[in-house]
Amino acid sequence: MQVYLPIAEMSVDALLLLGIGFGVGWLSGLFGVGGGFLLTPLLILIGIPAPVAVGSGANQTLGASVSGLMAQWRRGNVDVRMGVVLLIGGFVGSAAGVQLFAWLRRAGQVDLAVAIFYVVVLGTVGALMVRESLGAILRRRKARPARLHEHLWIHGLPLKMRFRKSRLYISVIPPLAIGFAIGVLSAVMGVGGGFMLVPAMIYLLGMPTSVVIGTSLFQVVFVTANVTFLQAVQVGSVDIVLTLLLLAGGVIGAQFGAQMGTKLRGEETRALLGALVLSVAGALLWDLLRVPAQLFVIGPAP
Amino acid sequence: MRRALRVLLPLVLLLAGLLAAAPLKAQPGATPSLAAELSTRRIEVTTAFTGGEILVFGATDRLIGGDGDEIVVLVTGPPTSLVVRQKIDVLGFWINGPSARFNGIPSYWALAATQPVELMFGPTERTDLRLGLDLLQLPQIGSTGPQFRRALRELKQRQGLWVDQTRPIDVSGGRLFHARLPVPSTVATGVYRVQIMLAREGRVVARQELSLQVERVGTAASIAYVARDLPVLYALSAILLAAFAGWLGSVLFRRG
Repeated sequence: MQVYLPIAEMSVDALLLLGIGFGVGWLSGLFGVGGGFLLTPLLILIGIPAPVAVGSGANQTLGASVSGLMAQWRRGNVDVRMGVVLLIGGFVGSAAGVQLFAWLRRAGQVDLAVAIFYVVVLGTVGALMVRESLGAILRRRKARPARLHEHLWIHGLPLKMRFRKSRLYISVIPPLAIGFAIGVLSAVMGVGGGFMLVPAMIYLLGMPTSVVIGTSLFQVVFVTANVTFLQAVQVGSVDIVLTLLLLAGGVIGAQFGAQMGTKLRGEETRALLGALVLSVAGALLWDLLRVPAQLFVIGPAP
Repeated sequence: MRRALRVLLPLVLLLAGLLAAAPLKAQPGATPSLAAELSTRRIEVTTAFTGGEILVFGATDRLIGGDGDEIVVLVTGPPTSLVVRQKIDVLGFWINGPSARFNGIPSYWALAATQPVELMFGPTERTDLRLGLDLLQLPQIGSTGPQFRRALRELKQRQGLWVDQTRPIDVSGGRLFHARLPVPSTVATGVYRVQIMLAREGRVVARQELSLQVERVGTAASIAYVARDLPVLYALSAILLAAFAGWLGSVLFRRG
């Protein structure tokens, strides 16, 4: 069943979009990530123009994360205070990111920039996650008592604040910086940033895994709302028909994923997510390296 | 048979009308030897739009083909500006390299004829009339080199937006002709100019010009309109709709 996307100005198979939405939504519920890092490359792969894929990807991530956030909220797994601090950084970062995106679009390098961002960010994060979680699984086998969290230099910064739910007393500077970085990536890559936020919260901030997923969803919902707004107003690349079709599949998938996620242990979840992130990075890297089928591309004049 | 009727019926009406109007429209020195019409003056782009076609039909007063008259149909869509980028290999990575900009080129262009136009016209006439994709004026800004122009033609043809005589015009009964020009779903909205030319002995002896409107209607039109003219409202609705859909989903499909 073909459906015409009014902003992308093309028609796409609606069932394909529903299917993509379902798969990505399932992962979203399972890992507590929005799934934008899978969605945007998939949309570009099926021929959606990169700016529309990024803008609508952020919008879909918003909707998908709302249902995930509500599931987590009911279980009391959201550290609102930490979420708000991250969010302040996230708003500033996403505003800066949309400016960067608009500039890249004028320079004609959006596709390349999006691909490079994906390869570098996903490659790094995926590798770190796989390494750490495998290490954690091995440590668990050896049954060595682990500390609550490592004390790093970032814990010595000023402006300390108490985050009761996360059982932390740390400076607000690291969460602000993390929020900012995720905001930039969110705008350029059309992702919520959960796949980066989750490891950053665990390894850099030392938050307990139980509140990490809910809190990251909290941040993701509001940052993607901001990205949607800015992309729609500045670039004009949010396709609501595309978003809603992806969401229709996504919300169903997310519920299945969330249910399954409660049965998996933290380390296994992280290892799986890491492997998934790495494979997306690998596929995109291959796309950059192989000789393109088309040596020329046409696009609208900026 | 049914298709023939569908084509013929409006034609008969048209011819009747034309006969009545003929004295008023008569060209100096000759009776109008060509009459053509479009099956529709409006292509509606709805949310279910998957592409369509422009159907041009008409009749001549002399026999088409053989040593007689030939028909050429040329459709030009609203002008657009495009950038063609060449991918280059930088340290093993394929990135967008030099680019050329083409301003004021037709977003849609389609040519059909009863015979290949190369056989119908001499090179000078064909160039004057710009009949052929190779003769289309493509003013190039930025990087120079014929490869950009070649790539533009090839990619536009692949998208189905530039159609160069992929199907000949059908002729029935020697005098009636109809041409079907495919329109893909990526077609731009705006006014399309349809030129119908009657060629005889390498020259155009009669021509008629019609126009066609491609426009978004229904939901697709409202969405595109709101997104363009009221971006803030559109952005807020996109956020609320997505959030609402997410919330609705978590309520409807709550498990356990």
